[in-house]
Amino acid sequence: MLKIEHLRKVYPNGVVALNDVNFSVDDGEFLAVIGLSGSGKSTLLRCINRLIEPTSGKITWNGVDITAAKGNEIRQIRRQIGMIFQQFNLVKRSSVFTNVLSGRLGYVDTLPSLLKIFSKEDHAKVYQNLDQVDLTEKAHVRADSLSGGQQQRVGIARALMQDPKMILADEPVASLDPVLAHSILKYLELLNKERKMTVLCSLHFLDLVHRYATRAIALKDGDVVFEGLPKQIDDVQFKSIYGQEAEKISII
Amino acid sequence: MVQNKIQLEKTHRNIFPVAFASLFVPGLGQILQKRFLRGITIFLSGFILAFLIQWSLNLYNLGQFVFGKWLTSWLFVPLAVFWVWNVLDSIKLRNIKPASPLLGILSAVFILFIIAWDVTDVKPNRLVERFGDAKIVATRVINPDYLSVEINGVYEICDWKCLSVNFKNKISGLPTQNIQMSENLGDIFGRIKRVSSIGNPIKPTFVTGKLIETIAIGLMATIFSTLIAIPLSFFGAKNIMDRMPGGNVVYYVMRTIFNFGRAVDTVVWGILIIVWVGLGSFAGVIALSIHSAAALAKLYSEEIEHIDPGPVEAITASGGNTLQVIRYGVIPQIIPSFLGYTLLRWDINMRSATVVGFVAGGGIGYFVLETIRMGAYQQYAAALWAVAVVIIIVDTISSRLRENIMLDKPKSPKKPGLIGYLKPIFLIILGLAAFVYCWTITEIDLKSLFQPGPTFIQILKDFSKIDLSSDVLDLVTKQIIITILQAMLATFFGAILAAPVSFLAAKNLTGKSRLLSWLYYLTRSVFNFLRSIEALLYAAIFVFWVGIGPFAGMLALVVTTFALIGKLFSEAIENIETGPIEAVNATGANRIQMIFYAIIPQIVPSFVSYLVYQWDINIRMATIIGFAGGGGIGLTLSTFFGSLQYHKAGTVVLFIVVVVALMDLASAKVRELLV
Repeated sequence: MLKIEHLRKVYPNGVVALNDVNFSVDDGEFLAVIGLSGSGKSTLLRCINRLIEPTSGKITWNGVDITAAKGNEIRQIRRQIGMIFQQFNLVKRSSVFTNVLSGRLGYVDTLPSLLKIFSKEDHAKVYQNLDQVDLTEKAHVRADSLSGGQQQRVGIARALMQDPKMILADEPVASLDPVLAHSILKYLELLNKERKMTVLCSLHFLDLVHRYATRAIALKDGDVVFEGLPKQIDDVQFKSIYGQEAEKISII
Repeated sequence: MVQNKIQLEKTHRNIFPVAFASLFVPGLGQILQKRFLRGITIFLSGFILAFLIQWSLNLYNLGQFVFGKWLTSWLFVPLAVFWVWNVLDSIKLRNIKPASPLLGILSAVFILFIIAWDVTDVKPNRLVERFGDAKIVATRVINPDYLSVEINGVYEICDWKCLSVNFKNKISGLPTQNIQMSENLGDIFGRIKRVSSIGNPIKPTFVTGKLIETIAIGLMATIFSTLIAIPLSFFGAKNIMDRMPGGNVVYYVMRTIFNFGRAVDTVVWGILIIVWVGLGSFAGVIALSIHSAAALAKLYSEEIEHIDPGPVEAITASGGNTLQVIRYGVIPQIIPSFLGYTLLRWDINMRSATVVGFVAGGGIGYFVLETIRMGAYQQYAAALWAVAVVIIIVDTISSRLRENIMLDKPKSPKKPGLIGYLKPIFLIILGLAAFVYCWTITEIDLKSLFQPGPTFIQILKDFSKIDLSSDVLDLVTKQIIITILQAMLATFFGAILAAPVSFLAAKNLTGKSRLLSWLYYLTRSVFNFLRSIEALLYAAIFVFWVGIGPFAGMLALVVTTFALIGKLFSEAIENIETGPIEAVNATGANRIQMIFYAIIPQIVPSFVSYLVYQWDINIRMATIIGFAGGGGIGLTLSTFFGSLQYHKAGTVVLFIVVVVALMDLASAKVRELLV
């Protein structure tokens, strides 16, 4: 179980990204995080794996205090948490294979990894995970020759290399053509349902939240303004999250 | 409305204090209004201008003018204009619309120009009066010493006339002379040696020519500086150092070292290095390597800072440590730009390698220096043409390769054939052989780095005993001022000549007709050809024409400025956006209106920024142009060095380093503000 208590993040320029965030996520949940741009969704997800240092508050995961971890401990925790990014964050000039392989770095010794020496098992794992996202035949092309949707699937395969127990997905479909959104989220759903990974996913479109999430939280100005089942987000809730001028739109 | 009123009231209330402040101390009023950069610039400009006017009055009686009992300079009149502008500026700063800097800049430039004209000893009449000398030197330059012919047991240079006579005789079956490659050609390109110095026949061996040596110096310096710069650049990249404890300090230290190494020019490094390892190619390699490593490390660091941070974030998120992040998130991203910068540096290093010999004593620079001293202009010309050919080839290879690298096409996943396998092996063997060959002919001697000559300590002591006695200071100050102003004039004249021509060298303006596209290729080739030879090598021609002195050096700088500025201007014209042109045309404007409203506003900032950049470059070159008779501080330096007055040479080097570093800083700042 992931438990977040009084989480606060103030950036050096004085912006309060997270004010006082409290919520918890049970193992095996698919939690959608919604809210306007700048409401703190990205900051929240990055505080969980300490890519961003929280100002104060406590994050515990299965009894381990993530906020108290130091140096090597942080890396030990990070390798159990896969992350998927809005901009895919692939090394565009490297091959798909190398990009996926780099997901394993948290598990291997530094020196061999610098020389790109990995075990046979790790190599096999790359193909296995590429197979999972249906990209086996693209293993040896450069990442920038793939389409956006394909690049995001490489991003998922890279995260899977970590054998993660939890996946943080930061707007995984926001840079993609809307029609591709379902193809990416279906992979996340599969990992959630069949491989029992906890998924925390920030999303823009409400109908995607309805379709995939088991639970949702909404952030506004750094605070949690809604917590509950997706279907509980009614018009009143919607206006309070997105503001009075917002209109519901849907994608296919 | 209310705000405007408040603004106006504030203006009226505050005009007098700031105006008085600026009246008493230029720039003070601006500083009081918290416009620090503007105020300090105005203060310094006013101070420097006043100093220069008084200095040139004392030394050159420039602008002498009797006013009652006072002997003064009429140049104080434009300075007064500058002063008045400064007061107006401090008042206008209060208003919503700031004052135009035009009047201030014009009066300052006018004063500088008058002084520069006088101290650089510009005598345009000499260009005409001594045209006969120009013809003589031109004849020699176009008849280089490559071939020789034996006449009555004496070898003479076979020039174009001799060649054509022999050619005609050959066709008509008449007897021809015995034409062979000249000794000079052997000195430049190398020769097969069959006889030992004692006269005994030996196994034929190839003796390297000075040009080959120069190519080797440039190549070795590029390899060494790349190897040094790559690891250092990571310590100078903020995004990497921020990941480490104490990295910030390391970052600033590294960046300072890079900037210092870059500010000191190759030739000045050369002077310091010969004290250490002695004259020769090796000194040239070291000097080039230091300057080039600093310049490359700075570019590399900036490239590392500008990578896409996404992959770094992703690899950090998957639990990778800093080394793994660098290996998998940073290195794959920077390879193309690193290669590109190294190739660019190779081009620059080859150019510097042709002149480093003037002080370090190796390569073609040293050869040219000797031919100039002996007045052997046909031998000199032979070197000049050879340098031009080599540099043009290097330039072409380097820019072609860079174009390909920047495209960064993915490799085809197809399995390579037999040739595909053999090609890299062949290239590696060839590269290694070339490396070993260059290592030998540049006489690289790592041991001597740790065993400096016996006189080294003594010379170093003398050197560091920087002589600050007033007569040395006066001389050095004078020469430094001449150098800076000489560079300024050269930039001005070079740009005036280049500006109209550069339009012909812009592809987007010349694609229309066949005649214009021919002109495009012609001007481009002229620019490239003139650019391939450094000003230091041109100087000898102008020394012959107008005599030794800063005027000759200035003219040599005008030639290179014309070529480089012409190229940069034409590229600026090529890079303009077509959107505004379309928009202005759509309003029904005519061609002239279109040029004034759509093209000129787009190119002026980059033109001005290139001018400042060129002045900076010209000052570096002007500091050494004296070695070839071009006047300025280089002359002083070579005199002090030649007469073993190292304590005075130390003063000169110190001045050069400070001035070049300051100008570099100022020019970078100005360009930053412009673009």
